[in-house]
Amino acid sequence: MDERLEKALDFSNYALTLNNQKRNIRNRVAQLQIVHHLGGVFIADHETIAFVKTLIDLKHKESIVIDSKNNPITVKSLSELLEKLINAYTSATTEFDIENEKLKKSRNIKKIMDW
Amino acid sequence: MPTIQAPEGVCFFAYNNSQLDYVNMAITSSKFVKKNLQLPVCLITDEGSLSWLEESHSTEEIEKCFDYIVTTNDNMKANSRRHYDSPWTEFTAQFNNSNKHKIYQYSPFEKTLLLDIDYIVKSDTLLKYFDSDYSVSMFDNATTLRNEPPLFLERFLYDAGIKMWWSTVVYFDRSDFSELFFNTWSHVADNYDYYQYLYNFPRKMFRTDYCVSIAVHILSGMTAEQDNIGNFDGTSLLNMSQKDDIIEVTSDNTWVMLSHDSKEVWKNILVKTNNQDIHLMNKRAFDRIIPKLTEYLL
Repeated sequence: MDERLEKALDFSNYALTLNNQKRNIRNRVAQLQIVHHLGGVFIADHETIAFVKTLIDLKHKESIVIDSKNNPITVKSLSELLEKLINAYTSATTEFDIENEKLKKSRNIKKIMDW
Repeated sequence: MPTIQAPEGVCFFAYNNSQLDYVNMAITSSKFVKKNLQLPVCLITDEGSLSWLEESHSTEEIEKCFDYIVTTNDNMKANSRRHYDSPWTEFTAQFNNSNKHKIYQYSPFEKTLLLDIDYIVKSDTLLKYFDSDYSVSMFDNATTLRNEPPLFLERFLYDAGIKMWWSTVVYFDRSDFSELFFNTWSHVADNYDYYQYLYNFPRKMFRTDYCVSIAVHILSGMTAEQDNIGNFDGTSLLNMSQKDDIIEVTSDNTWVMLSHDSKEVWKNILVKTNNQDIHLMNKRAFDRIIPKLTEYLL
């Protein structure tokens, strides 16, 4: 075994490694939640999804929506934006769940590394 | 400007030196681009490096990896760069990067993603920026493998300096603003000593990161507020430090890496990266895993 690897395993702290992996996953999930639509940047989170759905429920077909960069975006089809947001949210949370479940079952560093 | 030959694509600069086989790394990086972005790739290199590429790889493999090859003959600034391979090994090599701003003239694409050859694309995240409203985009922040911010002088140009932008990944289109940006970059590169005096950044080596940071600052009206340049939605460039290592490649997209502690360099933790684009600053470590990656990427 590589001497540095041996030292790494000696020094490595399970919690430190686990928390770092959790942050990695959260970063990846945050990237997956970014939706580009008509020049705007939207985050597929609960708030945005609920807001767009509310507009649709109130019979709006189009609307001006402020994006995550505080720019007004004329959304011609709210249902199209909602579909994109839901797709991004679903794909992000699915990946989050899979990776999180793996981590929960990992009781040592080698397991965390899936190696 | 060259004849535009394709609407979208990725460009790599690769100039070999006495220590590092950049064109070999470009072959591997291109395979990741082909797999995860499905875009044409252009290699920008010089005659010597191209000749070595043709000697060391089959024509079939070269054609599979590079849709376009541009050969340049630019005079490079003497630029000695100290590299690390773990905290315990170091070497120095000439780094040829002083013509990077000329990408605007070399790229055969209408919309270009310029990647450093050590930037490994393991996801399709960058694709969405080809449809963004920004003419130019780069990362303006980075994190280490430990999800910590990089050293202070990789966040700001000096103690009271301007914010640092990274030229590792540059997206641009053919708008007037893009041309203005690359002309400004070129001006800063041509007057590097003057701007070093003005902005007080470290003088050790010629860094294109400093050039683009100053270009952004100038084009933002010399303020910290700017809305002309995209920053990939505020996401971070994931940097594997030169003092980190790659321990195991379990698939092309899943790697187990060793991340050192910047204060106590002998302490490491293991980090798994999975489907995350990554900047491999330890070139020797990258070079070591190429044979393994080749098995997965063929």
